[in-house]
Amino acid sequence: MTQPRPVVFACRCVHVWVGDREVVKGVDLVVAPGEIHAIMGPNGSGKSSFANALMGHPAYTLEGQVELNGEDVSGLSPDEKARAGMFLAFQYPVAIPGVSVASFLRAALTAVRGREIPVREFRRELHARMEELEMDPAFAGRHLNDGFSGGEKKRLEILQLLMLRPRFALLDETDSGLDIDALKVVAAGINAAAREDVGMVLVTHYQRLLDHVQPHVVHVLVEGRIVRSGKPELARELEARGYDWLSRENGRA
Amino acid sequence: MSAEPVLVMPGLEVERISDARGEPAALRAMRRQAREVLAEMVLPDRARHLWRYTDPRLFVPHRESVGAVPTEVRADWVVNGSHSATALIAGGAVRELELADVARRAGVTVTDLHGADVEETLGSAVPPSHGFVEALNTAVWQGGVLVRVPAGVRLAAPIELQIVAGGSGSVATPRVLVLAGESSSFEIVENHLCGTLESSHVLGISELLVGPSAHVRHGLVQRWHGGVIGHLTVRARLARGAKAQLSLASFGGAVVKVDAGALLEGEGAEVETCGVAMGGNRQHLDHHTEHLHSAPRTRSHLDFKVALTQAAHSTYTGLIRIAESAGASEAYQENRNLLLSADARAETIPELEILTDDVRCSHGATVAPLDAEQLFYLLSRGLPPGQAQRLIVYGFLDQTLRRLPQTTRERIEALIAERLHSED
Ligand SMILES: Nc1ncnc2c1ncn2[C@@H]1O[C@H](COP(=O)(O)OP(=O)(O)OP(=O)(O)O)[C@@H](O)[C@H]1O
Ligand SMILES: [Mg+2]
Repeated sequence: MTQPRPVVFACRCVHVWVGDREVVKGVDLVVAPGEIHAIMGPNGSGKSSFANALMGHPAYTLEGQVELNGEDVSGLSPDEKARAGMFLAFQYPVAIPGVSVASFLRAALTAVRGREIPVREFRRELHARMEELEMDPAFAGRHLNDGFSGGEKKRLEILQLLMLRPRFALLDETDSGLDIDALKVVAAGINAAAREDVGMVLVTHYQRLLDHVQPHVVHVLVEGRIVRSGKPELARELEARGYDWLSRENGRA
Repeated sequence: MSAEPVLVMPGLEVERISDARGEPAALRAMRRQAREVLAEMVLPDRARHLWRYTDPRLFVPHRESVGAVPTEVRADWVVNGSHSATALIAGGAVRELELADVARRAGVTVTDLHGADVEETLGSAVPPSHGFVEALNTAVWQGGVLVRVPAGVRLAAPIELQIVAGGSGSVATPRVLVLAGESSSFEIVENHLCGTLESSHVLGISELLVGPSAHVRHGLVQRWHGGVIGHLTVRARLARGAKAQLSLASFGGAVVKVDAGALLEGEGAEVETCGVAMGGNRQHLDHHTEHLHSAPRTRSHLDFKVALTQAAHSTYTGLIRIAESAGASEAYQENRNLLLSADARAETIPELEILTDDVRCSHGATVAPLDAEQLFYLLSRGLPPGQAQRLIVYGFLDQTLRRLPQTTRERIEALIAERLHSED
């Protein structure tokens, strides 16, 4: 008997609605362990809707099959998905005033690992990860995304990625708003999180992230559909030519 | 509106209290006078803002007696930690008084108010004319303390008062008077606790007279049992250069009305009021604050946060009055309400009476449900919904508590945590 190809994440025929408007129109995606997939596409093509709906955001209605490590997770709530090993880095992380980064992260870590993490162990780990991301230790005492600059927010998303160690991570434009140095630090963080048993989907507009994080596949999402999937060179081609030619080749517009 | 008086206190009753406590003539006269004032009072017009949302009749007790409370001092009435002084008021009397050596040597006194010589001071921040509850308290109050901190004395540890509500059907009428001498600096916390799940009343008054350049941090931490109908009035009078921090924390009770404020009478006086309230079940919370600026270069800051679950109802009215004589003053007021259930309700009404152009004054008010994006963010990190909600509420309230002295802050945080967990 042949072993089935191991899969971290698979979705089939995913449709997403915002109210009664369909914004994702039948997407299939299979991510094997160790794979990094990039999703590119014009503004408003449904990339964030897809990512948020997969995580279970209440503003979206999702139809289709979603599997994590071979288990059907379509019926799980967002927190259950997170505890099952799924992670979403937000395009626009929300501020939560009054809640410190450290207390939040400790609660999240406890929830995801299913056991209380001793304070000292937690601190050691937190400071080690913050150092890797060249973050000022004072950040641990600041309130979640409250008054953070755009780049600081993105760094905090990656800090969470490194701390929570998901099996499957969706990163929604984590490279946007980063300066050149920050981009390198964040890319290093992403590479560190992309272990051999981990699957990742990067939503991005720019080749510059893909210079640092090597994707296995690049997908192009246009108007809620994956219109093309290909090798990393596809990203370069998109950068040179834009998206219009793809829409035309697909016999639309 | 009927023209009947609120409540006629028999003259005999008032005299009986003075007799029983052996009160000085001035106190006796004050009670008599308050009784006269009360006899002339009718219930407030409910169209007036202060009583628009809460029925004043609820605070008119059926009888004036101080009800039965257990005679033994219960463990949870006793305050822990280090203190400059502690006092316990229960059953209409001061039951325990303790003064730390450092405070005694510095000349601090904490005494039973019934025997005190307070002719010039008692009632000077909250006179009987303030309202019917205040007139009633002034006529019949029982169980009070006078705290006197001499000029120049700075206390590192807080003064803490435990004020225990009575048993079923009882009416507690506590009274606190704090005299802060020039340039003194200290913290005083009133813990209002107990009462019953059945109905009992608390009608309390606290007055703070803050001398020139003194700095007083006053805390009012209320965690009554669910049956208490309570009305607490707090006023601070601030002399030249004085500073006061008034913190309110309301958790318990069935119907609770708090009227807290400051009279900024001396040039350069400053007040900061920080409040948090949490309501659940069918609790009715009514908070009113007043910052009255009458001297130049005075400043006031108010930050009041309310979180409600189930069918709780909160109203907040915040008055800022800046008199013509209070040029170059500043006032800021912010009230935020977080509704955690569809049945919870909150009103917020800022009232600004600005009689001079030479001021900076601003205010903000919001009433909003739990933010869906914040909740989703926490859920997406694995926090179960209950915990995620608790964290948001905790953060919401904690921003205000940050400004309080550490021990008071920690105590209030513990009450918030207790309350949040009881909602599960
Ligand atoms: N919560 C929402 N409420 C209303 N409309 C939404 C919501 N989320 C997405 N949409 C709409 O759905 C469409 C797809 O938006 P989405 O954010 O998924 O695009 P995107 O591909 O991530 O774009 P960008 O590259 O600009 O981030 C847009 O027209 C957007 O306005
Ligand atoms: Mg997007």
